[in-house]
Amino acid sequence: MERLFCDPRRCVGCRACEIACAVEHTPSKDLFVSVLNGELGPPRRRVQALGAQPYRVAIGGVVLSLGCHHCDPAPCVDACITGAMHKEDGQTVCDTDKCVGCWMCVMSCPYGAITPKVKALKCDLCPDRKDKVGRSRYACVEACPTEALFAGTFEEFQRVLAEPISAGWEGAR
Amino acid sequence: MKPRYVIIGASAAGSSAAETLRRHDPNAQITVVSDEKITYSKPLLSYYLAGKLGEEQLFFRSPDFYERYGIEKIHARAVGLRPEKSTVELSNGQKLHYDKLLLATGAAPRFPKVEGIQRDGVFGLRKLEDAQGILARLPKTKRAVVLGGGLVGLKAAAALKERGVAVTVLIDSPHALSQMLDESSARIFEKIFEQNGVAIRTRAKPVAVLGTKEKIEGVQLASGEVFPCDVIVVGKGVDPSVELLEGTRIRRDYGVLVDDYLRTSVENIYAAGDVAQARDVLRGEPWINALWPCAVEQGRVAALNMLEKKAAYRGSMRMNSVQFFGVPVISAGLAVLTPGPLGGRPGEHDETLESRPAPGIYRKIFLKDDTIVGFVLVGDVPIEAAGVLRILMERRVNVASIKEELLELGPDLGRLLPLIVENKERFVEREFQELVHTVGV
Ligand SMILES: Cc1cc2nc3c(=O)[nH]c(=O)nc-3n(C[C@H](O)[C@H](O)[C@H](O)COP(=O)(O)OP(=O)(O)OC[C@H]3O[C@@H](n4cnc5c(N)ncnc54)[C@H](O)[C@@H]3O)c2cc1C
Ligand code: SF4
Ligand code: SF4
Repeated sequence: MERLFCDPRRCVGCRACEIACAVEHTPSKDLFVSVLNGELGPPRRRVQALGAQPYRVAIGGVVLSLGCHHCDPAPCVDACITGAMHKEDGQTVCDTDKCVGCWMCVMSCPYGAITPKVKALKCDLCPDRKDKVGRSRYACVEACPTEALFAGTFEEFQRVLAEPISAGWEGAR
Repeated sequence: MKPRYVIIGASAAGSSAAETLRRHDPNAQITVVSDEKITYSKPLLSYYLAGKLGEEQLFFRSPDFYERYGIEKIHARAVGLRPEKSTVELSNGQKLHYDKLLLATGAAPRFPKVEGIQRDGVFGLRKLEDAQGILARLPKTKRAVVLGGGLVGLKAAAALKERGVAVTVLIDSPHALSQMLDESSARIFEKIFEQNGVAIRTRAKPVAVLGTKEKIEGVQLASGEVFPCDVIVVGKGVDPSVELLEGTRIRRDYGVLVDDYLRTSVENIYAAGDVAQARDVLRGEPWINALWPCAVEQGRVAALNMLEKKAAYRGSMRMNSVQFFGVPVISAGLAVLTPGPLGGRPGEHDETLESRPAPGIYRKIFLKDDTIVGFVLVGDVPIEAAGVLRILMERRVNVASIKEELLELGPDLGRLLPLIVENKERFVEREFQELVHTVGV
């Protein structure tokens, strides 16, 4: 199954993915309209700096954009008392109509990938973009200016990680 | 010949097991026996009681789940078990042969031994029919008494309050939610209940339910004080439903004892959910953590072992998430509990971190030897961090290097990645391994 990964060598921590994600999950799907109408919710992925100070140096100042890993089996699905959180073709999806906001899933997700905001909000792999292809398939991937975000299987991502990145990217960081 | 799997109980554990069996064995003969007609979510009963959800919204699996998965469902009670013959007898006279049997019979409310407790108008809150019974009485109910200040008792109290009933909660212990919160955290919630018009009385020991056979009139305390009421809800914990073990050699303690493969002491018989006493990662001894997520996971793990796909159960731990009158709280770990018969143990922690940056926001973390052993998070902002704190606690990671940040920690796995990299042998899940690999490049 296709999932989203972030190449830490390319991520510059610009948070374009966060904004794109928040905008994608508004009725208008337009940054300006959604800000004007107050539609903007929390992003479902977050850019995170690795570790406290001593580590940041040790790991080399890594930032990374993280979201739901679509675990299998998924602890959030086990925990859900309504059946709202469920698996669908390998993806972990929340049916927000069913969700009662009990936050059992929030407690259970080891990756902090669920935001409790009336309903359980998490990466839903952009269902409204199902007909798009390539980098436009996912809002965050499309928005990433350094192509750090990658959609595919982990095996495919590993091949990306195995390739050296061009000197230009090193400079960007 | 196709193996025959029989599951007793069709709730969280039973349905999860049935689904797993079918997923892995399209040809297996699977029979689920339940004395309840439909499979619904018990934790949603308080939402139903409050009028927030209708009966048709209580399903956590589609109503045609069993048909769709080709699972035979029998509406009857299992009344006898003969392991030497591999048979189960049902209340409808049927006798089922099994190759593998799963006990997923859950638990039932514990009623205090109080005079008059069997009177009409006294309810538990465990089954749909309990909630329906309470609702049927509502038109004639002005006042209610809830016996017990645990999770279910308080959920019932809040639900009845939302229905416009005057509610008093009588609690034996010194504070409410004693199986979920420490005293100072519990006081926050006692206050929230009082502010919302629910009276809470702690150290209140009921001795009698007053009234006639048909109509209850009130609850009397040891002190002689009487609380008049029209309905009583008992929320004083549950006991595992182990009746089927009667006359068998299946080992039990409080619940059915199971090993790390969720096998009972008798061949081909497994147990999962609220009835099963399985590994507890924090206690280091078998325990029942009567929780929905544990029941679902145990159901799946038991099924994998019934299929002979050796799957070890990692173990459960106490944790819970609830909301009362819109205020969310998540608590986990043993250190939170006051030492005593309810399961708290002395010496569980040697340090506590606490912050209350604004009204309605509260965070408390318990440590022992720089390892998280419990936490309480109150309010929208702090609870986001529950998942990452919980995994650090479950995997017993030394958090000395991020101790200063713990009280401010958001849902930031990134913050923890160095700890995960350092302890990668404890984070065996595919997703963690992928992350470790990714940051390692
Ligand atoms: C009001 C309420 C609120 C709750 N809130 C939470 C919460 O917030 N978080 C949480 O984690 N947990 C919560 N729980 C607990 C949770 O519901 C249980 O942990 C879970 O239901 C356990 O599932 P189970 O399948 O093991 O057993 P059960 O759900 O008890 O199901 C067992 C089933 O087996 C049937 N059965 C028993 N014996 C027989 C027999 N001999 N023959 C045939 N059928 C039989 C029973 O009728 C029942 O249908 C709550 C429970 C209640 C009642
Ligand atoms: S929300 Fe969390 S637990 Fe659920 S699938 Fe995503 S990463 Fe896994
Ligand atoms: S918050 Fe919603 S999705 Fe999460 S466990 Fe509760 S009902 Fe399920």
